[in-house]
Amino acid sequence: MRRVAITGTGVIAPGGNTPGEFFGNLVAGRSQIRKIDGLDFQRLAGPIAAPVSFDGAQYFPAPKLRMLDRVSQFALAAARQALAESGLQLHSVDNDRCGVFMGTGMGGSQTTDDGYRTVYAQQSDRVKPFTVLMAMNNAAAAWIAIEFALTGPCLTYSTACSSSAVAIGEAALRIAHGEVDVMLAGGAEAPLTFGTLKAWEALHTLATPDDLDVSTSCKPFSLDRSGMVLGEGAAVIVLEDWEHAIARGATILAELAGYGLATDTAHLTKPTVAGQAAAMRRALRAARLEPSTIGYINAHGTGTLANDAVETTAIKDVFAQQAAEVPVSATKSMHGHLLGAAGALEFVVALEALRHNHLPPTMHLQKPDPACDLDFVANTARAVSTIDAVMSNSFAFGGTNAVLIARRATI
Amino acid sequence: MTTLQWLQMTLEKEYGLSPDRLHADAGLEELGIDSLGVMELFFSVEDAFKITVPQEQIELKSIAEVAQYIDRLIASQPAQVDSETSV
Repeated sequence: MRRVAITGTGVIAPGGNTPGEFFGNLVAGRSQIRKIDGLDFQRLAGPIAAPVSFDGAQYFPAPKLRMLDRVSQFALAAARQALAESGLQLHSVDNDRCGVFMGTGMGGSQTTDDGYRTVYAQQSDRVKPFTVLMAMNNAAAAWIAIEFALTGPCLTYSTACSSSAVAIGEAALRIAHGEVDVMLAGGAEAPLTFGTLKAWEALHTLATPDDLDVSTSCKPFSLDRSGMVLGEGAAVIVLEDWEHAIARGATILAELAGYGLATDTAHLTKPTVAGQAAAMRRALRAARLEPSTIGYINAHGTGTLANDAVETTAIKDVFAQQAAEVPVSATKSMHGHLLGAAGALEFVVALEALRHNHLPPTMHLQKPDPACDLDFVANTARAVSTIDAVMSNSFAFGGTNAVLIARRATI
Repeated sequence: MTTLQWLQMTLEKEYGLSPDRLHADAGLEELGIDSLGVMELFFSVEDAFKITVPQEQIELKSIAEVAQYIDRLIASQPAQVDSETSV
């Protein structure tokens, strides 16, 4: 098995369109959750979300922009950043050994929404000719492969909220097994459309807006938590065969050390301690690391009643006596839940924590739930002495639990 | 305004293309407009010229060719007049 280096990261995220800006806002504890507006949004019970500040026209010429759903715009912009940071010169690599793995839950939501509005609400037959190509789930990955002429494998994973953690993990395995040398991997999601928000609302997992301050509406691990808040954005990382990265003199940001998968089979939406714990254990085993080496966990931490208590118990199950010592934070309290992009974005958060030895907080945790009794880095970021490894948890409707572990780069 | 001028104006306004790129012989592909993009453009054509663009496979390579195609459609289709005012 070959080692897997991480040589670039890129994000389009609530609170920042670069990893540095985004992470800076997280450690400052700035929530990006706010009231949002849009066509028909007055029909939503709680029109709040964590939107990104993004103007596609700044990234794409107008004719191309017309072919890109917002989700693909995010993905391409994040991929460009990641590739730029990696310093990889694509003309000097074998493009057949480079590929793209992306994750998304909802694909081109805006396009789907617009298409239905045209045919059903407006009773028009003038559906935009690009509709299928913009809405299809693999559009984002395909556009990245096209832009950079990456002719190796190009796949899209759709396992709901773990989609992009799976995409990164599977990409790392392809490199580890020697099939490819370089992978752009991550996820993108743009679900802040009326139809998608309404469907999530119907699922009764969204947070009740906090009347005093809507930015505090997502309260993971808190006794008064009431659910998740949706966000949007993308995160892409460059994964590279370790020796390939060394040979070209690349700066290695971290090693992708472990990836663990396990499936809950109790119910489509019901998380289990056994499933979450198994995914964490498998990632630790793959990384050949003891739990005590993990210096930070970015929790799945959605702010739903079910997830947070189960995740707390699962972490205790895996980390045993050390569970009380490992800092855990749920940054969804600030950037919201990016669904299919959440795993990749939060893995980037964990990488930034590793890079800066600075742990972002779980915000809005004023009333700790006795059932959630770990060190949640509550309300204030924490500078720490060197940490060696970080874990990012992503658990999903449908039961696919995915855990990624990154280790400080050492030759 | 000629059909060509209307087309150049629409491509500038709706597609954000610079006027100096929109000469009659400009290739659609070079402008970033593929066959699906042309089909989308035809929605605006139908509205502006009150014609129906048929569902047919047609290869149009330049702005001038699109303008000529629109002109042929206009010539071949009787003017569509609002029924309430045509009595």
